[in-house]
Amino acid sequence: MKGLSQYTIRKRIAMALLMILLLAIPLFLSGKPYLMNVFILIFYTSTMSMAWNLLGGMTGQNSLGHAAYMGLGAYVASLFVTKAGMNPWLAMVLSVVIVGGIAGVVFYPCFLLKGPYFTLVTIAFGETIRQFVINWDFAGKATGISLPFGAQSFAEFRFMSKVPYYYIGLAMIVGVYILMKIISRSKFGFALRTIREDEDVAAAIGIKPMRYKVYALIVSAMIAAMVGSFYAYYNRYIDPDLMLQTYSVEFVLPAIVGGAAFVEGPLVGGAILITLSEFLRNEFGAILPGINLILYAVVLLVVIRFRPVGLLGWYSQSKAKAFVDTKILKKTDADKEA
Amino acid sequence: MEIFLQACVNGLLIGGFYSLMGMGQNIIFGVMKIINFCHGEMLMIGMYLTFVFNTFFGIDPYLSIPLVALCMFGLGALIQHTLITPSLGTKSFTNLLFLTVGLGILFQNLALVIFSPNYRTITTSYSSITVHLGPVTMALPKLISFIALIIITIALFWFLKYTSTGKKIRAVSQNPIGAEVVGINSKRIYIITYGLGCALAGVAGALLTLFYMVYPMVGSSFGFKALIVVVVGGFGSIQGAFCAGIFLGLLETLSSLIVGPTYRDLTVFVTFIVILVVRQIIILRRR
Amino acid sequence: MDNPIIEVKNITKNFKGLKAVSDVSFQIEEGKITGMIGPNGAGKSTTFNMICGYYPASEGHIFYKGQEITHKKAYDYTNMGIARTFQIMKPLGNLPVVDNVVPSAFFGRYGAKSLKEAREIALEVLEFTGLYAKRNVLAKDMGTPDQKRLEMARALATKPEMLFLDENMAGLNPAETEEAIALIRRINDSGVTIFLIEHIMKAVVSLCERVIVLHHGEKIAEGTPEEVMNDPYVMEVYLGTKGGHNNA
Repeated sequence: MKGLSQYTIRKRIAMALLMILLLAIPLFLSGKPYLMNVFILIFYTSTMSMAWNLLGGMTGQNSLGHAAYMGLGAYVASLFVTKAGMNPWLAMVLSVVIVGGIAGVVFYPCFLLKGPYFTLVTIAFGETIRQFVINWDFAGKATGISLPFGAQSFAEFRFMSKVPYYYIGLAMIVGVYILMKIISRSKFGFALRTIREDEDVAAAIGIKPMRYKVYALIVSAMIAAMVGSFYAYYNRYIDPDLMLQTYSVEFVLPAIVGGAAFVEGPLVGGAILITLSEFLRNEFGAILPGINLILYAVVLLVVIRFRPVGLLGWYSQSKAKAFVDTKILKKTDADKEA
Repeated sequence: MEIFLQACVNGLLIGGFYSLMGMGQNIIFGVMKIINFCHGEMLMIGMYLTFVFNTFFGIDPYLSIPLVALCMFGLGALIQHTLITPSLGTKSFTNLLFLTVGLGILFQNLALVIFSPNYRTITTSYSSITVHLGPVTMALPKLISFIALIIITIALFWFLKYTSTGKKIRAVSQNPIGAEVVGINSKRIYIITYGLGCALAGVAGALLTLFYMVYPMVGSSFGFKALIVVVVGGFGSIQGAFCAGIFLGLLETLSSLIVGPTYRDLTVFVTFIVILVVRQIIILRRR
Repeated sequence: MDNPIIEVKNITKNFKGLKAVSDVSFQIEEGKITGMIGPNGAGKSTTFNMICGYYPASEGHIFYKGQEITHKKAYDYTNMGIARTFQIMKPLGNLPVVDNVVPSAFFGRYGAKSLKEAREIALEVLEFTGLYAKRNVLAKDMGTPDQKRLEMARALATKPEMLFLDENMAGLNPAETEEAIALIRRINDSGVTIFLIEHIMKAVVSLCERVIVLHHGEKIAEGTPEEVMNDPYVMEVYLGTKGGHNNA
């Protein structure tokens, strides 16, 4: 096969095997809801982390308010379902559109701010939304919203078993991963990386920094809203705590631990962190609350101290690979030989 | 009118805490250009230290201040030396940001594991004494804390302005390379700065303990308010942080008086975002 | 002048009351290399950045091919065929060299439609600028001469007609300067008009057909390199008068 190196072939086979494994897991674990829950948790946390990574890792805009977009998504979808009796799937789509719109319009001026100022304004923005929801009668104030329980129905996004949620979560993570892969190799992705490295350079070669940063945020917020709707349907209950800044941080950690420069970073980080943290919570959570978060913090500190480019940086042979799609380099080498 | 005055006094007091926290944060930012996202947790540790000294060793909260300051300085210096200084080399703002975020999570949850999520308070023989200052009533601990805040703030200004270490700190924040050229050991200054910032937050915690509950999450709100103070007052400007702290305290208490306590935080955050964005637009226009 | 591609008319820049550039006018002739010299603080970079849309001119007008561009933003320039380099090099440090140039191929006038196409253009430009061998090196790991080349490669990959070079030879040794001169000449030969700021006189003399001299924010001379070099006022500014008196 011309143009495909050994490396690429091996990578593809590994991917295919992983996919088959993930598809087959419910066959073995459907009787163990706890473990199924861990997988679903990994799916939506990693998806959120990928959403953050588009803005944070790829564009270099460190947001610490992404839980707000997820929360907002959950709220919009839940309100449509409970107050308007809308079909949950339609509500999810509407929620994605609305949150994307809110992010693009309301947050637009905040992109004038750079570096630490930007990060702070994202925190304040997240808190503002949370405080707003806490004070909003229609959305149940601090009590939150419960979604109706009832008979199992695909149309109603309501299932007795965790298996359907598992497959929907899997579809979500795979879909977002493919989207990120496409973005990373597209014109859009290159614009974002150029902005991350230097906005003046971006402007000098015809990239409008504001515009692309806002695009990145809109895509990111839309994914967050999708995850939020999924979260609401899965848990059947949401409250304003969903938007706490703590959660925003928890969505960032997988990307940083896995390697924010990689599309796969959030996936690797998410799988490792959540597996470990759920294990600890299960074993010691009753006697030592918070032990899983201590682990989060320790892993994060160790990675930043000793592997500044994240765990995936371990595998990249050259430093260059840490920041780009490996395929690009392989291709360039192939071109040279040709 | 009395309510208003009372609110102003409370606002000044809480603003004093924000100022002290903000000034510590600001020194750290000035010198290393990093935001210390675990600043609130330093306050929390200061509170727990005061609590421990009082409960287990019977030390008066106000007398334990030097002890708390010393412990916090040590902790800060250790963190700086083992974690922050090495990471400064990577020049990655993201990594430094999440380094301090990680420390914040670590401390919060360590406190949770060690002290449980229960709310703790300490009482002393003078806790319930109140003082009348004209129309305003004030609990004695609040008054003492307020006076202590003023003294510490003045001492901090004096330290930065007149001592040799203070001058070095200012030199490094103005021009790190220049400071290095004239023979200032910037790594040492980093350690002193971070230790000092943590000590200030710890002392703020100690001063707060007599009239505020101690619990693992107590720092997060204070930490973020301190950041607001720094940003509104201007990164690197100690005087700015001082004024912004007082302003924020007053804004909080007065807004809860006027628009109601539930909208207090909403008012604060919206004001903050608007100030940030408007100021940035002005800066860009002026170019 | 017969064929000006850029016309600068009476531009002035005030920074908080300080006049950095005052009432400067000149033209850049299409297809030629024009240089701008002047002592440090003469306002060269300010003028340069105003023409390139980095800060707005306080007064005056700038025209490109007869069209007014005074208030255009930097990112609007690319599609008109104007590109620039930065005096303080701004490599996209964490990206390999080839990926430093790929964005230009996407967003510039080549308008690459796919990554494959963009990379082909990028590699072509790297070949032209002599960076091909280093295409997979991280930009931040290269030395000054290569980073200066990369600045040019990135600008060239937008397919400009008009190229602005800001002190592209500062910090180069004589051999590297020779190479840079050769490269600039090659770029000019391919039909690109060049405007450059330079401190190295040798480069200015050997490259430029016209030279503009700035001093204290004002244009004090304009002409061929020889004319300018022999201008008494320019000599005074550069070398000082006998009494060390400087009346500018």
